[in-house]
Amino acid sequence: MSNDYLWDGSGTPDPDVQRLEALLGGLRAPLAPAPALPDAPLRWRTLRYLGPLLATAAAVLVMIGLTLQTRQSSLPSSSWEVASLAGRPRVGSAALAGTGRIAVGQTLITDAGSQARMTVATIGQVTIDTNTRVRLVATRDGHHQLALERGTLHAVINAPPGQFVVNTPSATATDLGCAYTLHVDEDGAGLLSVSSGWVALELNGRESLVPVGASCRTDPDRGPGTPSYDDADPALREALDAFDEARDARVRAETLRAVLAHAGPGDAVTLWHLISRVDESDRAMVIDRLADLLPMPAGVTRAAVLALDRTALDQWWNALGLGEASWWRNFKAPM
Amino acid sequence: MAYVLDLGRVHSVLTFQPRGAERRDEAAKSELAATIRAVASGDRDAFSRLYAAYVRMVHAILLGRVPRRDVDDLVQDVFLTVYTRIAELRDTAAFGGWIAAIARNRATDYFRQSREQVELPAELPGGDAIQVETLAVLDIVRKLPEAYRETLLMRLVEGMSGNEIAERSGLTPASVRVNLHRGMKLLREQLGWQGHE
Repeated sequence: MSNDYLWDGSGTPDPDVQRLEALLGGLRAPLAPAPALPDAPLRWRTLRYLGPLLATAAAVLVMIGLTLQTRQSSLPSSSWEVASLAGRPRVGSAALAGTGRIAVGQTLITDAGSQARMTVATIGQVTIDTNTRVRLVATRDGHHQLALERGTLHAVINAPPGQFVVNTPSATATDLGCAYTLHVDEDGAGLLSVSSGWVALELNGRESLVPVGASCRTDPDRGPGTPSYDDADPALREALDAFDEARDARVRAETLRAVLAHAGPGDAVTLWHLISRVDESDRAMVIDRLADLLPMPAGVTRAAVLALDRTALDQWWNALGLGEASWWRNFKAPM
Repeated sequence: MAYVLDLGRVHSVLTFQPRGAERRDEAAKSELAATIRAVASGDRDAFSRLYAAYVRMVHAILLGRVPRRDVDDLVQDVFLTVYTRIAELRDTAAFGGWIAAIARNRATDYFRQSREQVELPAELPGGDAIQVETLAVLDIVRKLPEAYRETLLMRLVEGMSGNEIAERSGLTPASVRVNLHRGMKLLREQLGWQGHE
């Protein structure tokens, strides 16, 4: 300690310094993580020493490159093309006029008067709505990832499942071959609406599978909510939101009963998700209501579903006619 | 999160202390050199440690030059530049001065690129918890000579001690002490505050 408050905070406090610390301390650097990085940095000095060898190698590579030229054209780079659709979006601190590039680690920012479109390597496009912040986290062959900090994006992806991922504060959205709109508000809560295919939402092990025509809310504390179809009875959707938000067991039971009362034949996806989310004492009534709408397939027993047997749940899922559960699980395994 | 900080190793970087006012801690210097070499070879954990150790200094340098709303993005830009160019750094002991220069250059580029844009006022109170008085004081600090401005922002905004400022910036502790005290004297005068020397 130096007994010099201005030097290191030791000794007799200086009231002026204390006042300035209090005033300016709110501007302190946020505890943000290090930026996502592109591929390893080039080592120019090493390159210089290895110059002759590399020149020979380069010649060979050129020949190989010419042979593989058409194939190379489809390989992703570590940046995406981005185009301004309205106003002056920014990539980092640089205003975007016309088209440009966004590199891994950079953030695209739109204000109330600007919009942009990003080309997701060779697999699709993402339109960035007004008042949005979105960061390019990673892009490489078979994996492309954004982080939507706030605002709205519209994604149209034509690729095998799992190649396009969007992180939000309240869930990770994984594309299963689809088109969707994802919104994140200032509190980190989100809303996903799927217009084609499927999207999987996940946070801390809690998953929701959202099919075309359905939406799902997400919450930073609870993760993905329960998906419901956009044309479902508004009373069901209102009760479902209340159920997802409720912490008190009595409220959860009451709102669950309202959900079940308003559920129709098109709401089997919603009820299937609820089986594993309701309190154990309420599980039987969800199973019975789903069985009314969609009979259990052969080989599935009420007892097995009550015990949340994975095989039984998957078989019942398959009966929804929306695709095999094994497809989702096999796709997830390598993630 | 893709880059999880190894807090134990970060701590060892953050807390390397000089044995005296005039001499750097050799162990800390060699650890910094090892970290820089690891980053140059593509070690992302090492990069996270370097980021944790230097982010406050870079933030302070940028805060003293560019509008607050763009500081965080520019901090990210600076560290991406560091990552892609770190192999060009010939003397690892010069890292603090090198990254500070990158931050200052990035701020200069910012204004060059922004010249043709229609800008909102540089700082607008409201919308968050930052008060009018804070922005007024920041504005005055930004008008101080560069050496005083950066050192004071590292101390008063980022909460760095004099020794930390010296270690990160590459300045001698004596220079930092002079900058702090002369800067504080000037700031008091500009603010119209009397007394407390």
